[in-house]
Amino acid sequence: MLRFRRSASRLQENFNLEALKKAFINPCYLQAEQERRRALGVDSEAAALALKDNIQLSEKGAGFTKSFLTDWCRVNFPSLRSEGVESVVAHLTSSPVVSYVARNLGIEDLTMSAECPVPDDVLHSTFMAVIGALEESSGVEQTGVFLRDFLATQLIGKDLFDMWTVVDPMGLLVEELTQRNLPLPEPRLVRAAGASTVLPLYFVGLYSDKKLLAQGPGETLVAAEEEAARVALRKLYGYTENRRPFDFSPLQPHQKQLIQAVSSS
Amino acid sequence: MTSRGTPSRFLQSVLQNGVGRYVCQLKRLSIIFSKNAQSSLGIREFIEEGVVDYAKNNPSTVVYVSPQSCRIPKIVAEYLNGNVREEIVTSKTSTQISEVITKLTNQSGLDIIRLRKPFHTDNPSIQGQWHPFTNRPPSIGPIRPQKQDA
Repeated sequence: MLRFRRSASRLQENFNLEALKKAFINPCYLQAEQERRRALGVDSEAAALALKDNIQLSEKGAGFTKSFLTDWCRVNFPSLRSEGVESVVAHLTSSPVVSYVARNLGIEDLTMSAECPVPDDVLHSTFMAVIGALEESSGVEQTGVFLRDFLATQLIGKDLFDMWTVVDPMGLLVEELTQRNLPLPEPRLVRAAGASTVLPLYFVGLYSDKKLLAQGPGETLVAAEEEAARVALRKLYGYTENRRPFDFSPLQPHQKQLIQAVSSS
Repeated sequence: MTSRGTPSRFLQSVLQNGVGRYVCQLKRLSIIFSKNAQSSLGIREFIEEGVVDYAKNNPSTVVYVSPQSCRIPKIVAEYLNGNVREEIVTSKTSTQISEVITKLTNQSGLDIIRLRKPFHTDNPSIQGQWHPFTNRPPSIGPIRPQKQDA
């Protein structure tokens, strides 16, 4: 009990403790516990488990996480394609990232699981259940801030194309430019050095309407063209390295009042 | 041994702590001391004076006080990322113990090893990595070996 309360105050959230406790009980634990009781010869009716598992909470949390992160990405990268947004969200809600976050928040200690150490997928569903419990106890807005603080920060230092596998960046760039009614990109060799050596270097620039969109380096002309297309896509989507950092500042009191006023009216 | 041979890491924080909100990384603090040994005099004093205040000021840390018959009193700190640190507090005064506990509270729980640099960034260069054509006007021709007579 004490540990649950401490855990809630560590995350600086107001949890409904009953919901929080329920969030940590996984179905695999319940199964294992029932089998253990049966093996011990305890009558299943006499000592029925009065515990409920976290499947509902977990589903709720996962749905909310997905919708919130999608909205957050849309706000931060207004020009990013929906496939890009989907793959960024899929990366953030993937099992390795979520279980890494959950381990470093001390959720692993409280998780009731059949196996020990707790497998990644169980930890993933537990974290989602915690989010579901938070949504039940403190509302949508507070849960959004929680997700922003703990999941969206994992995006810091990540490149767009680490998360989003684009096989043919040139084709995608052509598609983007036709959507924006811009002339098609024209690759030109801008610079070259050491072409006859083992370490050649080529710079390919992409021109559209005689303006330089982007240039990229590469060891061969094909590689340089692909890199240039990736650079151009990053610029179009606003996901360059020198972009403005994400806003992770806590909600100001007057913002909170505004939101309350909007929601009450 | 030179410093190159020792284990090292970059300056980092757990889960980008403090970018969104600060989460105290100390999860559990167990104070192990003896009820009557001379060496735990200071820690008994600290338990009488400061431990309740400490627990009140740090609502996210669980504090266990366990009297055992031991000669060496110690403070065991467990961190959120699973690391455990033990501090031996033999014959320390109450203020010294309070300092030790403050230090343990403020630590991140990452391994205490050599830091390669006292700063770290995920984006090493804003204007891009250096290459042979950086700041080279396009009017100049291709890069060649320098002439001997020039």
